[in-house]
Amino acid sequence: MLIMGEVQTGLLRNLGELGEPKCREVLGLVSGEEPRTSMRPLPYAISPEQFTGVDCRLPGVSGARIRGTGTVAQHAVIVGGRVLQASAYATVVAGAADHRLPWSHYLARPGDIEVHGRPRWADMAEGFMAAEMPMDALNLSAIGGRLMAAVQESPHLDGKTPFKSTRTHLRWVLWRGEAGAPPLLLTLGKGSLRTLRLTGEPATDVTAFCEDLALHDWLLTTIQAIIQRALIGTAAPSQIAARLAPAIDHLMHLWMPGARVPDSYQHLWKELERRPGFSRQWASSVTRIRDQIAVNTLSLLSAAVMTESGHEPDGDISPHRGASQDDP
Amino acid sequence: MTAPFAEDTAERRVEATPLSHVSIELGHLYMEDYAEGRDHLRERFRQVAPWARTVRESLSETLPGRARISTCFLIDDYFSRFGSPAEVVPMVTEAAAESGLVVDYLARESGCARFGPVDLATLVLDRIVVDPAPGANGSRPPLTETGWLCNGQRGPETAHVEAMGAQPGWRPPVQNAKRRHSIFVDVELWDAPGGERVWSCPFLAAVWQLLRLGLLRYHGKAVAVPEEPGETFPAEWDALPPLLKLNPRAAPFAAYRTVSVLSSRFLPVELAVRTILGQVAVDLEVLRQVTERARAEGVPFEDELVDRVSYVFT
Repeated sequence: MLIMGEVQTGLLRNLGELGEPKCREVLGLVSGEEPRTSMRPLPYAISPEQFTGVDCRLPGVSGARIRGTGTVAQHAVIVGGRVLQASAYATVVAGAADHRLPWSHYLARPGDIEVHGRPRWADMAEGFMAAEMPMDALNLSAIGGRLMAAVQESPHLDGKTPFKSTRTHLRWVLWRGEAGAPPLLLTLGKGSLRTLRLTGEPATDVTAFCEDLALHDWLLTTIQAIIQRALIGTAAPSQIAARLAPAIDHLMHLWMPGARVPDSYQHLWKELERRPGFSRQWASSVTRIRDQIAVNTLSLLSAAVMTESGHEPDGDISPHRGASQDDP
Repeated sequence: MTAPFAEDTAERRVEATPLSHVSIELGHLYMEDYAEGRDHLRERFRQVAPWARTVRESLSETLPGRARISTCFLIDDYFSRFGSPAEVVPMVTEAAAESGLVVDYLARESGCARFGPVDLATLVLDRIVVDPAPGANGSRPPLTETGWLCNGQRGPETAHVEAMGAQPGWRPPVQNAKRRHSIFVDVELWDAPGGERVWSCPFLAAVWQLLRLGLLRYHGKAVAVPEEPGETFPAEWDALPPLLKLNPRAAPFAAYRTVSVLSSRFLPVELAVRTILGQVAVDLEVLRQVTERARAEGVPFEDELVDRVSYVFT
């Protein structure tokens, strides 16, 4: 048995932060079913689970044609009224038969995909981590992508984003693994693909960890991109500050690794904090942004003081002697 | 250890419903049957009675304790309207009583489309997970014809090919889970002749089965809560509650299994019902609740929805 999934993370297409009531409307994708929401430690909303039927080739590195039939579970998440995630995943199990059974058999186990014939778990797990997959293999990316689009096209959103960002894809697999396999291995692939190999007893509550990790990886990726675009050291302080503002307005308060992760997966976060040190990089990015903002503030202060005392500002950003910060 | 903090909206609560062992449907009639009068109705129930008795007896043998069995009858007030509840309901219960049958619960078919404030048909439509054709890997949304549901792959559109002037190459439709040969079923779920959606009889009958199996919830609440009848039955069908508990001592309406005693003329409808039911994904929490209770009670129980639905065709 193994669980494979993909989390896509991106910016919700809405200029302002989306409040809880609106989140409920946007994620109300199934009639008669409420999205679940919570406000502590930060606003969070999750849509009801939906399923997509599949009957196709499963991934594999050996090139063997393994067929699976069943359903993929998917749900959407909005964090902080700002970040949208689509999570698609399936539990792959040994099949009850080596041929296709009536569909009602598979719907009695929603979220499971049954393998026809003998499953080769290691082959499947590695195949799912490959950057390129055969065209006819299970495509969780497309399922998540459609869910993402369905939410983004909601009439409750204004369709605008406050800044540019890239959507990331975290593809993950959890199974018992080969002997001696590490509990987790996160790999940053080319472009927006990240792969995560998890070793342990397969349980679907792992999705909460994968979504939390995907969220924080996206926050890091996005804040790095903002810093890069700010052209620190080249552009004027005021321009830099303006370009960095979205990070302060929309992202900084969202950093809470492990906030929604079940206890049984908390040790995985500890592992990631030790190496590569997610929070370390975040803290350094945040410090860098705050320093730049401070530099800009000082330069503005300095300019203001110069103008008041009849002097032209000379580009020196050090505060004018005698000017206190409270009294610009 | 319990968490020191909780939020109401973060939890999902799903109400459980009381369950009988079996729900027996005492036949089904079209409006023209009622028009044929009391004798016709009596004859219909006379045909049902021995089978209903047999179901009772065979069930009592397989169960550990006392069998909880409820009976029900569905009146079609959706497609055509005949008479008034004040006339028809007593006519039905009296005709049934003459064959020794007690109608515990009486339901209106329009209640399967909309049950009080709940748009039940849409609720079920939203829970359909389409039977995937071999090769469906999630890349494209499931192939659906709006308003139709099938158990396989449709043949190509021959009319279109002919219009293009090419040879009309016929390819047969294929059942997804065929046993060597296909039995391809394509069911119309609804149409909208005057702009308003009209649900098909098999679709409403599928909703009816789901209600009898106690598997539908609206925002976590049970949907089909039976109401006690008033002193008299109303003159208008719309004034009659969608589900009435006629027998105060009846076992619960919903049950682990359903048996419907039907005339053979309903065979195609029920094939369509099973095609639909086979593609409905029931709420995981409801599935879990029902399964656990069946296990705790020691009741034989089927995983697959369609296996909980059985028939006697007369």
